[in-house]
Amino acid sequence: MTAWNDSTGGIRASAILKSRPFLTLAIVAAVWIAASFVSRGFGAYGHLRYLVELGAVIGLVAAGQTFVVIAGGIDLSVAAIVTVSAISLPLLSWQADPTGLVSILAVLALTTIIGVVNGLGVALLRVHPMIMTLAMATFLQGLLIIIAGGSAVTAENPLVHWLGNARPAGVPAGIILWVAVSAIVLTVMHATPFGARIFAMGANPLAASLSGVPVTSTTLAVYGISGFTAGLAGVLVLGMNGQGYVGIGDPYLLASIAAVVLGGTSILGGLGTYAGTIPGAVLLVTITALITVVNASPGWRSILFGSLILGLLLLSGREQARR
Amino acid sequence: MTTVAPLLAARGASKAFFGNPVLRGVSIALQPGRVHALLGENGAGKSTLINLLSGALRPDGGEIEVDGRAVPRMTPALARQAGIAVVQQELSLTASLSIAENIGLGAYPKRFGLIDYNELAARAKAACALVGLNEPLSTPVGQLALGRRQMVEIAKALYRMPRVLILDEPTSSLSATETKILTDLLERLRGEGIAILYISHRLNEVMALCQHVTVLKDGTCTADRSLQGTDAAGLVRLMVGRDPGDLFPQWQPSASPASAISVRGFSAGLMRDVDLDIRAGEVLGVGGLVGQGQEDLLLGLYGAIPAKAASAVVNGASGLPGGVPKANALGLAYVPADRKREGLHLIHPILTNMMLPAFARLPALKLRSRKTERETGKSLAAQLAIKGDLQRPAQALSGGNQQKVALAKWMPHDPLVLLLNDPTRGVDVETKREIYLMLRGFAAAGKAVVLLSSDTPELVHLCDRVAVVREGRITATLERAALSEEAIVSAAMGAEKQKVAA
Repeated sequence: MTAWNDSTGGIRASAILKSRPFLTLAIVAAVWIAASFVSRGFGAYGHLRYLVELGAVIGLVAAGQTFVVIAGGIDLSVAAIVTVSAISLPLLSWQADPTGLVSILAVLALTTIIGVVNGLGVALLRVHPMIMTLAMATFLQGLLIIIAGGSAVTAENPLVHWLGNARPAGVPAGIILWVAVSAIVLTVMHATPFGARIFAMGANPLAASLSGVPVTSTTLAVYGISGFTAGLAGVLVLGMNGQGYVGIGDPYLLASIAAVVLGGTSILGGLGTYAGTIPGAVLLVTITALITVVNASPGWRSILFGSLILGLLLLSGREQARR
Repeated sequence: MTTVAPLLAARGASKAFFGNPVLRGVSIALQPGRVHALLGENGAGKSTLINLLSGALRPDGGEIEVDGRAVPRMTPALARQAGIAVVQQELSLTASLSIAENIGLGAYPKRFGLIDYNELAARAKAACALVGLNEPLSTPVGQLALGRRQMVEIAKALYRMPRVLILDEPTSSLSATETKILTDLLERLRGEGIAILYISHRLNEVMALCQHVTVLKDGTCTADRSLQGTDAAGLVRLMVGRDPGDLFPQWQPSASPASAISVRGFSAGLMRDVDLDIRAGEVLGVGGLVGQGQEDLLLGLYGAIPAKAASAVVNGASGLPGGVPKANALGLAYVPADRKREGLHLIHPILTNMMLPAFARLPALKLRSRKTERETGKSLAAQLAIKGDLQRPAQALSGGNQQKVALAKWMPHDPLVLLLNDPTRGVDVETKREIYLMLRGFAAAGKAVVLLSSDTPELVHLCDRVAVVREGRITATLERAALSEEAIVSAAMGAEKQKVAA
């Protein structure tokens, strides 16, 4: 069983050292140190900062994914939602919105609603989360092709541009956004009744509902959060990229799930923490960077990426059997 | 008898888990043609002893003998070959497979390398006939009530034609009729020379059925003797190590005329068109054969399954709650029968389990106070005598303590109506007594307690009134003066046609 308990009050040092979030963090540090010896420039401050900035996108997508997985579900529509966000934002701009804030809020509302629709399917129509979110992803992809066609759209939103490129006090705005979101997510997850309900639902939905947990509304909220954070990641990726196109979100489906699982959250639900997902996300971009350093062809990069994720999961301990 | 070598025996068996001794030098000998009782509180080492006898675990010291010969490396496969069959307390059936497939699982008759379904059906049918299972053999086990599943489990053991049959609390989820079928069957098997090891918390059953008894207490054997000349109180003394006193608390009337729940024309699940009044300050028993709709009555009132009623008043509010959060708000609490599946979050800390109803009703984004939670948990643990670190996962607790946690989590909310679904199933004598005391205490404090139970003595001794359910209707409501095991059983079987006035 994972050493992390969602309600450990006085955490002892040994418990921290043995916890999955810490283990993942230690792996990241080890890989960084080893890689900076092998490849000069890898360990440079600028490069590491760039890695964390890239990790922010995965981290944002994986924030919602962590909620969904802990609640006992899975969201396979996050990649499509990232793309929806990155493509619809340039289309939704008004003259009367000089900062671009209104269109960002409109896009986030849209992606949250998409998430809530996922939740409705799961909670009320009792469609399996995999089927529901996969169907949603397919539906959105079709819609995007019709709306955007094959061409890329360029964002002319000042706030989006700032988010993707500004460095207040030397720290990329994307990282600041990630830190803020992480603080909120960790608080909601581990310090509110809402968070406790999510853990209960994931561990035993029947016992949770008989204990009075409002399962339907909590499910809607969880998928809504996933839609929201995927939308936020879409905004950030658009800012960093400058352009949105169909397929821009594709890398983030496997990445979000891998970050969650690498961070020690049980794919069966009921156990885990976003504190593990954070180093999990950084670990993923680190692996990608290492593969790029190796200078492999795109085919080999994918093969290496997949194998490394599998290998890391085997290393850091698989799910223990439970009834 | 003593000249015959025991079919299966343990000699001075010891076993420790992680350095904790669970069994210390325990010997037991199962003779052919004898029903041997194994008694002990939860955690006394009964299940470990069974696991040693059936080869699921290997002893650290001592020996396991089959037909008088020591078997140095007992395995489940060897045990099966030796004709040892175990009916586990935790049901080991596969819900999506049919009755016949479950019974034959692992020992399917084969033809040309494929399962011979005709042969399987014939043999499974014979095993089912023995235990009185008349459901179609193709019924998925998941659709059966708990008691019927238990019968499938027993049929599964009989299918293997055992010489030694070990039953771990087989009657804890059986109705009176099913228990009767089982005890008759065990008598017959005993006559055929089968050795039977029988574990039960129900002493009257043990006294009626068994000839020999082994009592375990804290991993050592405190008695290995013939049952002749012992009484139930003496057995309890051996198990608990002190005088038993009365299992049931003194009954005192505490019912008030105030009504807690009143429904007319109530229907939910199997229940059809039921009128029921539950008064504040009473323990209302719900009895009947297993699976007649009693559970649906509780779940319907609790809003966990769809229900409708011509008229309903619940704690002063009119209309059924229609949902669990609403029912909780109206002061209803429900403790389910299957605590592992429905009552607890086994992988979560005990403390989190205790706090869950609070988390369910607090404002979603209000910050939690760990300190308050710890204090609440500590006082609940003290109140209910739950020992040990509350940060351990709930699965670390014994069955009795798990049941206490399932009850404890409602206490901070001071429920007005407590709906209990078989709260003492598979719970040891000591914990039973504690739970009984608590229930009477609730009633005395003016709360309504609805006690659904498959244990008839419990209904007789604890309840102010008992509503007997048969085929989805309340066929009789027995007042305290008219309460007896015979009255409940005959009303449950439909022997008594006229309604006893409520």
